Amino acid sequence: MYKRLELHNHTTESDASITCRELVEYMVSDHADAFAITDHNTISGHRKIRKLLAGEHFPIQCIYGMEYTTYYGHILCLNLEEYVPWEDINIHHPELLFQAARAKGALVGIAHPYSFGHPFARGCRFDMKVTDYSCVDFIEIFNNPEPLHEVNERGLQLWEDLVLSGEKLAMTCGMDLHGKWSMANQYATFIEGEPEGDISRELTEAIKNQKTCISRGPVLSGNISEGKLTFALTETGKPGYQHDSRLPYLVSVRSAGHTVTKPLGETFLMEEFDQDPVLIPKLFEGDTSLENLICVGSALCQ
Amino acid sequence: MDEMREIYRAQGSLQKDFVGQISYTVCLPETYKELDICFSFEKQHYAPEDLTPERMEEIRSLCQREYQISMDDQKLRDLMLGEMKTEIHTLATLNGEFIGCVHRQLTTRHMHYTAEDATEGCIPVSPIEGVLRVTLLAFNVLLDDTPYTLTVSAR
Repeated sequence: MYKRLELHNHTTESDASITCRELVEYMVSDHADAFAITDHNTISGHRKIRKLLAGEHFPIQCIYGMEYTTYYGHILCLNLEEYVPWEDINIHHPELLFQAARAKGALVGIAHPYSFGHPFARGCRFDMKVTDYSCVDFIEIFNNPEPLHEVNERGLQLWEDLVLSGEKLAMTCGMDLHGKWSMANQYATFIEGEPEGDISRELTEAIKNQKTCISRGPVLSGNISEGKLTFALTETGKPGYQHDSRLPYLVSVRSAGHTVTKPLGETFLMEEFDQDPVLIPKLFEGDTSLENLICVGSALCQ
Repeated sequence: MDEMREIYRAQGSLQKDFVGQISYTVCLPETYKELDICFSFEKQHYAPEDLTPERMEEIRSLCQREYQISMDDQKLRDLMLGEMKTEIHTLATLNGEFIGCVHRQLTTRHMHYTAEDATEGCIPVSPIEGVLRVTLLAFNVLLDDTPYTLTVSAR
């Protein structure tokens, strides 16, 4: 099954308007399978949510994390069980913080890399130069409230370029929730998992193997066999997504040297991509403008 | 019950554009049941008289250079008066262990601790003893001579 994850959420433990309890209840009401708590520079909400989930048996799992909010960029940490100091962050060597968090078992990723920083909000843009992406697990390519073209398109482009150049990076998205904002028709992260599976383990597996995808509704999955590439669509029931049946689904596949677009259901031939080793599939509705992007599928390797 | 007693007070001022942190280490002389860290600062926002032509040009150039955003005077004024702010976070550790960070931009804020409860952003601690370190994280300082005060009280 595909599990819908909401991976970027704040509470009154930092600067949001919803408490830990309200966050849990809101996620349950929107039928998310799991959510992360990622308050700015604190893990004080972890014990509160653990207590809630243990005591009241909410039908949802939590991924414990934090958003490192530094002077030079925001870093999402998931499966973070303890606070790792960031205060000595070096703009020239961000890898040191990524490594320190990873050493504690966390998954680390760059949040909204192209948000507006100083003078609007120092630190919101990722201004650090990463020279070793093997220290990074994922990039948050869609931060739903951010402007589509100025911020999210550039995030998507960054991730695509890195992955097509051979970096083993997963992608995520998030609501960056600071209140009871509508999640209808917004992107969520999806991974494969078992009905009773442990979400932290499943997320680790998905991210380490680049098996995440982001979608406003259905999940696009690709299969390579005997020189052919085919796609299937799985409905997820995410609230708020309604496909307009007058608009055909299109699948666009980008490799390092080619981009090929076809109606959903048509077969791609691998020779159309020469020997390019990595393919990134995307699902659109109607045409391939970014406004009509429905899903970014997991990268496929030949 | 004993009254809360101030056991440490520090004051200082920050200069414009300082980015970094200032830490205060307090060796707590006793074991306490309750701890309160209070931090306050002034000059969070520009006043209209702070918007000198030189300062406005500095921000206008920054927006153009970093984001390719051009602004007329009114839009720039709205940005500088309405959105830009001095931003300082406070973080505390006790004996090297993280016990909380306040991200919310309050010009006066408390980090309050007992064994059972703590301010949002903070983690209850017990026993309250040993070495307390309070770090001021300066993300943005708009104006020179921005004054601040830190106090630590306990009982």
